Amino acid sequence: MTRLAAKLFAPLFALLALSGSGTVQAEGIVTDLSQHEVAIRSNFTGANILVFGAIERAGDSARTGPADVVIEVTGPETTETVRRKENLSGIWLNYEATRFERVPGFYAVLSSRPLENIAPASLLKVEQLGFNNISFGKAWSSVLGGEEYLRTPDEVAPFSTAILRSRAKDKLYVADSNGVVFMGDTLFRANIPLPASVPVGLYTVKVYLLRNGDVVDAISSPLLIAKSGVERVIYRFAYGQPFLYGIVAVLLAVFAGWTAALVFREH
Amino acid sequence: MQIYLPIAELSVNVFLLLGLGGAVGFLSGMFGVGGGFLLTPLLIFTGIPPAVAVGTQANQTVASSISGALAHWRQGTVDLKMGLVLLAGGTVGSFLGIYVFGLLKSVGQVDLLISLSYVLFLGVIGGLMLIESVRAIIVERRGGGGTARRSGHHNWVHRLPLKMRFRKSRLYISAIPPLLLGTLVGMLVAIMGVGGGFIMVPAMIYMLRMPTNVVIGTSLFQIIFVTGLVTILHSVHNQAVDVVLALLLLTGGVIGAQFGARAGEKLRGEHLRLLLGLLVLLVGARLGYDLIATPEDLFSLSGGFE
Repeated sequence: MTRLAAKLFAPLFALLALSGSGTVQAEGIVTDLSQHEVAIRSNFTGANILVFGAIERAGDSARTGPADVVIEVTGPETTETVRRKENLSGIWLNYEATRFERVPGFYAVLSSRPLENIAPASLLKVEQLGFNNISFGKAWSSVLGGEEYLRTPDEVAPFSTAILRSRAKDKLYVADSNGVVFMGDTLFRANIPLPASVPVGLYTVKVYLLRNGDVVDAISSPLLIAKSGVERVIYRFAYGQPFLYGIVAVLLAVFAGWTAALVFREH
Repeated sequence: MQIYLPIAELSVNVFLLLGLGGAVGFLSGMFGVGGGFLLTPLLIFTGIPPAVAVGTQANQTVASSISGALAHWRQGTVDLKMGLVLLAGGTVGSFLGIYVFGLLKSVGQVDLLISLSYVLFLGVIGGLMLIESVRAIIVERRGGGGTARRSGHHNWVHRLPLKMRFRKSRLYISAIPPLLLGTLVGMLVAIMGVGGGFIMVPAMIYMLRMPTNVVIGTSLFQIIFVTGLVTILHSVHNQAVDVVLALLLLTGGVIGAQFGARAGEKLRGEHLRLLLGLLVLLVGARLGYDLIATPEDLFSLSGGFE
């Protein structure tokens, strides 16, 4: 554990040492992730990514007001269709559907205290920080598979909150106002919990430094989540050679069934 | 012990999947049904995307049907000729079914239509089987003894052209009804992700009037080929077959099917039909309840169906 911590913080201390060398610059942050790549193998049950960093204070270090760090993790965006059931003559069926163009498959926002205490609502909206401010892109609605028409975000609010609700239940959307922990005045760390159902793709980890409700600095780091090993081979085979894949799947089943029949015949 | 499924893209408990496969395999061997009408809803319930559940369970049905079919083949209870005629229809039906599946998907009502057809088919067939088997049991209890063999009287099936002789089934009937039956079941395999045995078995007994002892083996025989074809079609069109999931399910399934086949031998025909009828009705009622009951959440995300 201590060895891991030493490994993790080594680059940090190096950076701190550099920053102390006297060059005049604005207040800023340095930050990094415990790993920039997550490999999904057959035993994957989720992962924890450690985000750590430090606040650099150039010049007058005795600034007034507390510093706040907000960490936002955004997964790959896809289109997502949300359907609302209605009761038509006794049967519940999907009636109205809304298709959002850019819905992140994973979203986490971590902070050291509640977002609304850190920054004014207008800023959170501009930076799209927090569940209430994520943008899902353009929204198109249709009824019973009919023609689609463009809707305003307010009109489709029940549909977008349905996404938040569903994803939060699956731990794919996370909001934690105690997620960022300060060690002293300058060092901070946070843990991003990734569930097993986390979608693969390129993630962005954005670390904001705020002071008195203003963004002072922000740094983005990439995080790649990819299948690996057998999982990757199977996935690529299924998408690259679907016909062959289907045949192999059938042959495997035939082989398994046949073997079982032989084994049981012996008894 | 958790395992990550590469196509379903989630992590599931290994023993849960083995158990599910085993339980459904047991029923499959016992009744000669693919068990898909149970497994598909169960898989969806554990969180596997519906499209992957449909495609993968077709794949696992291949394995569980093979071990069952081989057991019946050794006992000489497969009518090969009838199986081939059914299979010819099933091939046409599979392609039709994949086409219809694509149409439904574009309309966005695929789950409703699947549920409705489940409720309709399961309700009607389960009800018919229940009534018939209860009647047979009552007649026997009264000591009627001389229950007339049903193939004695003729129905509309016997008046169609293209007659063929099916020795093993002791039938001389038109090839048209088995062809149509095969087509219908092939469509259902592709659309509903079921083996189709729950429709095939009663239709063979009541419509074609085949003797009960060859029905199960013959049904399993053609299910192998139709589900194999559907596995390939779903791989190509939807990339919805997860071999890791299928292997786990079929490991449990093939073992369960062996025990099921043995348990089935010990049960009498009408008792077997009574149990199957009850099971079919139960699943149908459950799905029907979901259509009528107020959903917990009115909103649903598209999941694997987009």
